[in-house]
Amino acid sequence: MERPGSMRTVGGGIEENILAILDSSEAKDTLDAFEDRVAFIEAVRAASIVAKNGTPPTYKMYEAIFSILRIGKSLELTMASFQLLNELDKRFPRVNSSDVDKSNSSSSVPELIMVQEVGFPFVFSSENASRERGAANNSEGPVDSSGFQLLIQDLADATDEGNLRASETKSLTNMLLFQYLVTVFEGDFRPRNSVYEDTMNWVVLRESLLNMLLVSRKVNYKSLMKDCLTIMCKLYQNCAGFTDDLICSENSAAQPAENFDTAAAISLLEVGKHTCIAMQKFLIMIMELDVSKKSAEMQGSTTRADGVRTPLVEIILDELTYNRDIISPFLQVFNEPKWKLEVVVQYLWKYIGKPSVRTRRSNSPTDNASFSGALKCFSNITSTKSTLKKIRTEVVQLLLAHGFQAHLSLQSEHHPVEDTSASNEERSCSLLIEICKNIISAFKNMKTADKQMEILSLGKEALFTAATIISAKS
Amino acid sequence: MMDMDNFLDFESEDPLLNRPAVTKKRKKAIGLDDLLTDFYKEEDKLVEKKSKRAKPRRNNDSDEEDNHKEAALYDIVDKCENEMREISGKEDSFVWGICAFGDQKTPPPLSFPEIKSCTLLQSFINDELNSVIDISTENGDTFLEGLLVNGWLSKLVFASRHLEKSVATWTFNLMLYSPKEDLRASACDFWCAILSFENEVDLQPIKIDWFPSYSELKIALESYGFLFKLSSNTDSACSNSASRGPAQNIRAWLKLATASCQMRNKRAMYLTSEAEELIEVIICLFSDRQLQGLLVLLHECMQSAISYFTNEEWESSCEKIAKSLACRVPKDLNCLRIVECISVVNTRSKLFRSTVAHQILLSYFDHKAPSEEGILKLLIPINVKDKSCDFFKMYIHLVLTENWLLSNQLLEDKPVLKAMWRLYLRNCSCMIASTDLRCFASKVRNKASYLLQGTVS
Repeated sequence: MERPGSMRTVGGGIEENILAILDSSEAKDTLDAFEDRVAFIEAVRAASIVAKNGTPPTYKMYEAIFSILRIGKSLELTMASFQLLNELDKRFPRVNSSDVDKSNSSSSVPELIMVQEVGFPFVFSSENASRERGAANNSEGPVDSSGFQLLIQDLADATDEGNLRASETKSLTNMLLFQYLVTVFEGDFRPRNSVYEDTMNWVVLRESLLNMLLVSRKVNYKSLMKDCLTIMCKLYQNCAGFTDDLICSENSAAQPAENFDTAAAISLLEVGKHTCIAMQKFLIMIMELDVSKKSAEMQGSTTRADGVRTPLVEIILDELTYNRDIISPFLQVFNEPKWKLEVVVQYLWKYIGKPSVRTRRSNSPTDNASFSGALKCFSNITSTKSTLKKIRTEVVQLLLAHGFQAHLSLQSEHHPVEDTSASNEERSCSLLIEICKNIISAFKNMKTADKQMEILSLGKEALFTAATIISAKS
Repeated sequence: MMDMDNFLDFESEDPLLNRPAVTKKRKKAIGLDDLLTDFYKEEDKLVEKKSKRAKPRRNNDSDEEDNHKEAALYDIVDKCENEMREISGKEDSFVWGICAFGDQKTPPPLSFPEIKSCTLLQSFINDELNSVIDISTENGDTFLEGLLVNGWLSKLVFASRHLEKSVATWTFNLMLYSPKEDLRASACDFWCAILSFENEVDLQPIKIDWFPSYSELKIALESYGFLFKLSSNTDSACSNSASRGPAQNIRAWLKLATASCQMRNKRAMYLTSEAEELIEVIICLFSDRQLQGLLVLLHECMQSAISYFTNEEWESSCEKIAKSLACRVPKDLNCLRIVECISVVNTRSKLFRSTVAHQILLSYFDHKAPSEEGILKLLIPINVKDKSCDFFKMYIHLVLTENWLLSNQLLEDKPVLKAMWRLYLRNCSCMIASTDLRCFASKVRNKASYLLQGTVS
C-alpha cells in the first residue's frame, strides 16, 4: 500500500505537484488561496476522472478535498468539492461485492472486495483511536463519531428554530456534508449487507462504517436518532411551507450585490430537499442493519461486544406516539413505501393488539397481508369502536391513508418483471380492489362509531382515490 | 491504513503554525504601495548606475542632465501608474460569471377554470361516497391541489392508465410558475414520476394526452428573465434589482428537462436542434454565479441532455454546439468556466469538452489556424520580454489547449503534436521568470510547469 508523502503518480500528475497547488498560498483568506483551491479541485478532477487511466487521489489529496468541503468558505468551493467527492465515490467505490460477476465465476459465494486506495472521510476504527481523540475538536479533518453527533446536533438546532436562512452558509455546508457522509455510509453498507444476506457472515456487517458509528461509545444513540427525526420533519416543513414572497421582500432589503446570498437562497430549498432524502436513506440503512443484526443474533454469531441497541423502528414508534407534532410530517416526508408501511402497521398493531396468527419473517418487513390484517380491525362497527378507544381518530386516519398510499406504491413497483402471468395480474388486481373497499368501509365505520368525527382532507383524498381505483379497475 | 499523523493542515487556525511567511515564497497579493516601493528601489539603482557611468562627463552640463533625468523619471512613474491602473481595471474580469437572467416577467395566470371540470373529478361527483367527501365544482381545484401535494395524483394516473390534458397542463403550470414550494415541488415530482414510469416495462402503457414541448420550456425560461445570450457580468443588462431572475421554479424546470431527456427510448420529446439549444442553455446557466448552488442539478441535466442524442447525431451536434458557444462566449475567464462545467463521465462528454475548448481556441485566432499543428505553431512563440505581453490571454490559451488535448486521443495518435505541446509548455514554464510580477505571469508559469511534469511519464 502506498504511504502518503511518497512520490506517486496519479493519472500523469504527481501527488506532490498537485498538492503543491494548495501549498503555494500561505495566506488563508485571500483571493489567491481561493483560486488555488479551485485550481486544486480541477487538477484532481483532471488526474483522477478526466484522464484515461485515472487513478484515485491519494489520502492526502482526498483529505484536502474533504476539508475544503468542511470548511465551506464559499459556495463555489463547497459545491465544487461536494461534486468532486461524489464523482470520486462513484468512480472508485471503496467496497465492492464480487456478487456482480457471479455468472462467470464458478464459486458462487460472494465475497467482499475492499479497495484500500481510496481515502475515508471517517475515523471510527480503534486503530485510529489516538487520531480520533484529536479529531473531536477539529473542524476540517475526517469526521469521527462525536463529530458526526455534533453535525447532527447543529443541523437539528438550525432546523428546529426555523432560522435556516439566518445562517445559510453554515447550514448549507452542514447539509451537504451530511449528504456526502450518507453517500459514503451507503457505498459501504449496501454491498456488505448483500454479502451478509448471502453468507450470513456477521463480521462483514460488524465492520461496516454504519455499525462502527452506532456502537461507538461517544455517540448517544437514542438522542442521535431523535435528532435525525426532528431534522427530517422540520426541514420538510420549512421547505414545503416556503413561498417566494418571503424571498422577494427580504431581497429588497438585503444588498443584492452579494452574490452568495442570492445564490445560496436559490440552492437552499434544493439542498434541504436532498437532505431530507439523505436522512431517509440513513434511517432506512439503520433499520436494515437492525434486521440483519437480529438475524445474526438468532444465529448466535454476535458477541457481547456488539452490544444491545433498541431497534430504530421502536424509537420511531415512540417518537410518533409521544411527540404528536411529528406524526403528520413524518408520514409525509418518509415516502419509501416498504418501510413506511412497516411503521404504519407496527404502530397499529402496537395499539390494537396484534392479529393472533402472525407469520412474519424477520427479514421481510412488509407482508402485504399485514396491512390488510390491520384493516380488518375496522371491518365492523364494534371492533372499530374499541380501536378508537385506544388511538385518536385523527391518528388512525393518518395511518390508514398513508398505509394505503404506501400499499399503492408497492403495488405499482412490484407487478412488472417478476410475474406477468395473467392470473397473477388478476389476483393482484382483485387484492387491490379489496384493499380499496376495506379502506372505504373503515372510514365509514369510523364515522358511524364516532358521529363527531371529521374526516381530514388526507382521509378524503384517500377515499377519493380508493373509489376512483375501484371504478377504474372493475 | 491511513497515515493520520501526516494529516494535512493547510488551513489550520493555530497561530503557531502560521508563522510569518518566508519571503522566498510567492507573494501574490501585491499592494500598490509595494509596487511603487519596488519601482523606486529599481529606479534608484538605475539612477545610481547611470550616475556612475555618467561621472566622467559630469562636469559638463549637470543641470541639464538632472532635468533630463527628472523628466525620464516622471515618464516612468506615469507609465507605471498607467500600468497599475490597467491591471486593477482588469481585475474585475478575473472572476467568471455571466448574467444569464434579466428581470422576471409576470408569469401567466395560475387560475385554471377548466380543471374543475376534468373527468377525474366529474366522474366522482355522482358517486355515493361524495356525500362524505363533498366535492363540488366550486372547491374542485382545492381538492385537486390536496391530491397533488399529498402524492395521490400520480397513483390515480397509474391506476387509471390515463393522464388527461387538463390535469397535465394544470400540473405543468403549477410546476413552472407557482410561487408556493409545496405545489411546485409536488407537481415536479408528479411529472418526473409520470415520465420515468414510462421507462419501465409495463403491460399497458399510460395514455398521456399532452406532453410539454420544448417551446413550453422556453416560454417559461423567458418569463424567468433568461436572456439567451452570454454576456459578461459587467454588462448593463445585469441589473441588481430584486426582480432579477430566475424564479425558484428553475429547479423544477431543470428536473423536468432532465426527466424528459431520459425518456428518449419511449418518446423523443425534443427535436435535435432543440436539444442542441437546451445544452447551450444549460451552459449559460452554469456560467451564472447565482446558480452555482444548483451545480448538482445542472450536471445531471447536462448529462442526460448529452445522452439524449443518438450516436450519429452527437458527432455533428457536438461540433455545432461548440461552434455556436465559441462565437457567443466573451473572451475572458468565462471561456474556462464553460469548458470546465462540462464534467467528463463518458466518451461523449469527453469529446464535448475537447471540442468546445478547441472551438473557443480557434475563435481566438479568428479561425485562421487550419490544422491542429497550426494552432500550436501560433501558440509556441511567446515573447515575455515584450511589455505588451498579455499573460491573461496566455493563461486562457494554455488552459483551453490543455482541455482540448488532454480530453482527447490526439496526443497519443500524433507524436508531432505531443512534441509541440511539450515545447509550448516548456516555453511557458521556462521563459517566464519566477520574479515576473506581471498579472497572471506566475499563473501561466505554474500551470505550464505542472502540466509539463505530467507529460514526462
